Amino acid sequence: MAGLSFDNFQRNKFLVSKGFGQPMATSTGTTIVGCKFNGGVIIAADTRATAGSIVADKNCEKLHRLSPKIWCAGAGTAADTEMVTQLIASNLELHSLSQRRQPRVITALTLLKQHLFKYQGHLGAYLIVAGNDPTGAHLMSVQAHGSTDIGEYQSLGSGSLAAMAVLETGWKPNMTKEEAMKLCADAIESGIWNDLGSGSNVDLCVMEVGKDAELHRNYLTPNVRSEKLKSYKFDRGTTAVLRSSIHDVLDVEETVITFGNDAMEVDA
Amino acid sequence: MNSTVASEYSSEIHTTPIEHRFNPYSDNGGTVLGIAGKDFAVLAGDTRQVEGYSINSRYEQKIFNVGDDIVMTANGFAADGSALIDRFRNQLKWYKFDHNNKKLSVASSARYIRHLLYSKRFFPYYVSTLIAGLDDEGKGCVYSFDPVGSYEREQCRAGGAAASLIMPFLDNQVNFKNQYQPGSDGTEKKPLRYLELDEVLELVKDAFSSATERHIQVGDGLEIFIVTKEGVRTEYYPLKRD
Amino acid sequence: MVTVRSESNLKNATMNHDPFAWGRPDDNVYGKYNQSIAQAKNNELDAFPKMHTQQPIITGTSVLGIKYKNGIIMAADNIGSYGSLLRFSNIERIIKVGSETVVGVSGDISDFQQLERILEELVISEENYDNQGENNLRAPHVHEYLTRVLYNRRNKMNPLWNSIIVGGFDNDKTPFLKYIDLLGVTYGSSTLATGFGSYLAIPLLRKLIPDDKDYSNIEEEDAKKVIQECMRVLFYRDARSGEKFTLVTVNDEGVKFEKDVEVTGQSWEFAKNLVGYGSKQL
Repeated sequence: MAGLSFDNFQRNKFLVSKGFGQPMATSTGTTIVGCKFNGGVIIAADTRATAGSIVADKNCEKLHRLSPKIWCAGAGTAADTEMVTQLIASNLELHSLSQRRQPRVITALTLLKQHLFKYQGHLGAYLIVAGNDPTGAHLMSVQAHGSTDIGEYQSLGSGSLAAMAVLETGWKPNMTKEEAMKLCADAIESGIWNDLGSGSNVDLCVMEVGKDAELHRNYLTPNVRSEKLKSYKFDRGTTAVLRSSIHDVLDVEETVITFGNDAMEVDA
Repeated sequence: MNSTVASEYSSEIHTTPIEHRFNPYSDNGGTVLGIAGKDFAVLAGDTRQVEGYSINSRYEQKIFNVGDDIVMTANGFAADGSALIDRFRNQLKWYKFDHNNKKLSVASSARYIRHLLYSKRFFPYYVSTLIAGLDDEGKGCVYSFDPVGSYEREQCRAGGAAASLIMPFLDNQVNFKNQYQPGSDGTEKKPLRYLELDEVLELVKDAFSSATERHIQVGDGLEIFIVTKEGVRTEYYPLKRD
Repeated sequence: MVTVRSESNLKNATMNHDPFAWGRPDDNVYGKYNQSIAQAKNNELDAFPKMHTQQPIITGTSVLGIKYKNGIIMAADNIGSYGSLLRFSNIERIIKVGSETVVGVSGDISDFQQLERILEELVISEENYDNQGENNLRAPHVHEYLTRVLYNRRNKMNPLWNSIIVGGFDNDKTPFLKYIDLLGVTYGSSTLATGFGSYLAIPLLRKLIPDDKDYSNIEEEDAKKVIQECMRVLFYRDARSGEKFTLVTVNDEGVKFEKDVEVTGQSWEFAKNLVGYGSKQL
């Protein structure tokens, strides 16, 4: 049966009662934004993943492809944003195949909200969904409990207020692509500098009407690590070798077989 | 009533049981570390102060020269940290006033700080405290304390948010833990030696730039207090601000 | 009253081990203590009403503060909220203390008014002790004093439920701006904000002054412009904020209060094409 398994629910409750904590999921801290412009829509994200106050990944990807021209930015529990996004991407593809039409942003949003509502907020996925389809460019967002929102500009995640402050001061109607890219990048940077849950680089995806979506992975890299002052290479033998044994686990054999003059077509 | 400005709580009845849900503590992040050398000691800390996911300040001093060439820091809950340091600095002033300007040794300072901490055993100062200076023989020394006053003299110690990231690095690089003499097949430990000041400063800077990479509460700036027989001096280096 | 003790090792105990009656003669050994002897019962204490969990009642939202080359600017709106009810719209939350210091308070309004009284007493006593005018009561002193008041109250587990920004001049006449809250936590910066302002306004203020020391290049009008921008964003996005605010400037010319300043430059253009929350609905 499709869906989530609750087989371990009781076991986990028991473990918690015995003092073993629940395993922690990575990343609640994030800044993601989206913004429409004249002729398309842009989404952007920072690249920090956290587990508590430890940085789990300094350059993770929070921009997910739902279909070639519909992308979404995810905040919340990393595994949930990843899985829910892949599931909906699959269903969107099947739907578009059976209907013989390009997938639409509203379809993606509806699939997402119905799925998330079913799980009553236990799937911690907070997404900004954007893209173009035959009806034009769209920007929407969906929260873990299944509520959705539309707007000319959106922000989500722990850095959403820092980003929204920039969006509210910088946004104007009918922006060009370049203006919108700058605004989105500035909003993400605001999260990177002012929100501890966000950091490292800016990823950005531009979805222009009538064009392929372009993903700008690491569009900005304002946090390159400085060179370490010392070398921490150890002399060979610093770690004791207590025992060593070498095993041959397989023999590699190479045989060349020659065919006739015209070579066989092996792969498409 | 009294001659100073009347504060309204002097007339309170404070023996009444009052039900509260107020949490008197918070965590202001940051990390500190101290290393003792042959004839010097350093105390270093980042300058960021946080609360939750916000940065309160990118530069808030938390290491202080408390007098008599002793440097002190109390990292954790910032209000308790400054209260503890203020109390110690004040008592040190009185000690010198009462004892003909006698110099207070680092060992005696440490013992006094234990009593300051233990006096609040059931409402503790939520801090990891470090002091550094030179001992009676002129050797560098670092004393570290737990929140309720257990203390010990050490060669090096990290405290605060990223202590668990920095301490193993220090064990390995200062006390050469888990390092053996090459060729001895793990029978001979790498011999201990005092590190020079510039080696120590490089270790400190690498420790903090690395902690900044992996701990969200560490960053913005690094302030290092260096105690030598010439006195106390400070250095500042910027850290990443994300 | 429950007596906490273990029968086995306290068999010969003649003392009461209950934490509220510790050291008193044990009832099991000496019989029930006659409270009426020598008025042993604390009538005043028993009559005192039981207090419950403290929480802020009427509240004020963000206070903003920024340094610039000649001094500091502070802003706070005039709303007093009762939960989500807009209860008062004429609360003045920035006060002048002494001749060149201002204090901006957010959080509980009754605690703020108590602080106002304490600071008034401080000013009066300082005038009495120091009438030469040489060692004026300045911002760092007010800040230190408030820190002690708030930290002592938190130690009594009976806090003054506020976040405070103190602005003015340091002893060396450079601009001074520092924060204190109900826990006694303090910090200083060229840009400060309390409450929602720390999420919405600080990012904008730090765009103007990324490094603390750079405030010395900032003109008054640029600082005022960014404060206006912050108050607008707060009005958009903080549900407990108001449209009118007080703007205070402290510089070498003294303290200037501008009251009933309006949030300007609002734009609701984004709304004109928005319909529904997904597919278009009518």
